[in-house]
Amino acid sequence: MTTTASPARHRFDPDASISDKARAALLDTATVTWRDMVRTSRRPEMLAFAVIMGVFFLVLFNYVFGGAIGAGTGVDYIQFVVPGVLVITALQGAQQTGTGLAADLSEGVTDRFRSLPMNQGAVIAGRTVADAARNLAGLVLLALVGIAMGFRFSSFGGAVASIALTLAVGFAFSWLSATIAAKVRNPEMVGMLSMFWLFPLMLASSAFAPPESMPGWLQGFATHQPISVAANAVRDLSLGLDAGRDVLYALAWVIGMLAVFIPLSSRLYRRAA
Amino acid sequence: MNRLPLLDITPNVLDTMSSQGHETDSAKPPTDPPAVIEAVGLHKSFGDKMAVRDLSFTVGAGRVVGLLGPNGAGKTTTIKMLTTLLPIDGGVARVAGFDVSSNPRAVRTVIGLAGQAAAVDEMLTARENLRLFGRLYKMPKADLQARIADLVERFRLADFADRPVSTLSGGERRRVDVVAALVADPPALFLDEPTTGLDPRSRNEMWEAIESLAASGTAILLTTQYLEEADRLADEIVMIDEGAVVAEGTPRQLKQQLKRDVLEIHFESDHDLSKALTIVGDIPRMTSTSETREIHIPIDEGAGPALDTLRLLGDSGVTIADFQFRRPTLDDVFLSLTNPNAK
Repeated sequence: MTTTASPARHRFDPDASISDKARAALLDTATVTWRDMVRTSRRPEMLAFAVIMGVFFLVLFNYVFGGAIGAGTGVDYIQFVVPGVLVITALQGAQQTGTGLAADLSEGVTDRFRSLPMNQGAVIAGRTVADAARNLAGLVLLALVGIAMGFRFSSFGGAVASIALTLAVGFAFSWLSATIAAKVRNPEMVGMLSMFWLFPLMLASSAFAPPESMPGWLQGFATHQPISVAANAVRDLSLGLDAGRDVLYALAWVIGMLAVFIPLSSRLYRRAA
Repeated sequence: MNRLPLLDITPNVLDTMSSQGHETDSAKPPTDPPAVIEAVGLHKSFGDKMAVRDLSFTVGAGRVVGLLGPNGAGKTTTIKMLTTLLPIDGGVARVAGFDVSSNPRAVRTVIGLAGQAAAVDEMLTARENLRLFGRLYKMPKADLQARIADLVERFRLADFADRPVSTLSGGERRRVDVVAALVADPPALFLDEPTTGLDPRSRNEMWEAIESLAASGTAILLTTQYLEEADRLADEIVMIDEGAVVAEGTPRQLKQQLKRDVLEIHFESDHDLSKALTIVGDIPRMTSTSETREIHIPIDEGAGPALDTLRLLGDSGVTIADFQFRRPTLDDVFLSLTNPNAK
């Protein structure tokens, strides 16, 4: 068979066992994560933008509205607002997952991915992991800015737990954002649609002001929606308060969202022809 | 169940290919290479529109088959079906023995695809793109590194291999795109209009690359709108229009099928052109172009009638600037076979 000089030498067994498939899916996710992180490193302005937005919120709320809102929070307003801004920043980072994925879907590289012997879900999974890594960098920088403005974590462990929970919430929203992108697929449209979930979650929340000051019809939403729950939990963790209940509530949101949006986004992505 | 090692099912592929080789050997002359890409009676509809109907062809190892046709003929649809990107509505397609409909995952291990749009990551460098796709094929790291070094050298990417693809010229980008399809050394390669938009020099380089791939045993299915390209590269041509085959064979066979040579005459002036047109009268399938003052006359039997025509024109005082008696090109075949109403 010398005429068929080059039958491909590296072949993934299509009849591989479940564990081999899982291993292959992890390898693919790691590869796509690497690719998306290289892309992020080529566009550091994306990270810079996320941090600058966070600083903008910190300055605006702490110095402009802080005096007026702060009285109702029961703590120094900077202690109240930094956890909120951290969660909001993770949320905005999650929004990038959708716009990035939609851009991918409108480029030819997706056709290539679809013709490769890879786990197709890895295209989304890799992106959400890479976006979580970018979020981590942004959150650490923002926390440092908060500290410069007078914010204090009660302990190092509290700081780590705060950032970790914030990342988990951002990761869950990345999958929501990816689900919208897999359905809509047009980057501009995805960007516009994200305003519809981003702003209500961001502003009708406990991130900047306590929901108790809001009208009754809004209070229910503002108290129980995931961003408020997450902001409360991160606040408890950073202040060293008893955080157990809020953290569990936040994690329940994270797990619930992942359980819905991971399979949904993968299905929609696969359907995209 | 005989589970094979995760990263190596080559024996499967080889067995399938060699057994097919033997089947082919018994049925056809022994020089025929084993079939790598097989399409049998393919169908595809989009709503009411039949995009591909009853399309059959075979690409053997080391062979190049050119799929030709006007825009919208169904070329890209065919490629997408064969590369698992579009479901097949009817018929059977196999690549390296794997059924495309029932075993798309296996098919993806044996194909390389370079579609019409450059399917590489624009923000990565050429080398990073090759690493990305090689890793997705689960190539072992050392093999992949050696393979990338080899590809960069063989396809002369070194000058721009470490710049983001977005900064490359169209020709360089296209080359990266095609090389990205080769990273796992696939036995079947699908190239959808690989030279569209390339300057003549890049086109030539691409042609050389495709020839060397075929020489090393890769089965290549190529779509193109350039007949010159098919003429040069393809061992066999499948010409399609509105999703159906209108002609197939080697470039030479297709041209012979036309059974007519072409006499091209260029005239000195518009006056000469109009005078010539009245003299030669209404010849079937003759075409004239007033801007370039030329007529193309199909000639059925040899040089005699051509000489007669020229003599007749000369005797009538028509000034002939230039003439050429030539074999039909694939363009002539194409134009005579495809639906003239489809732009």
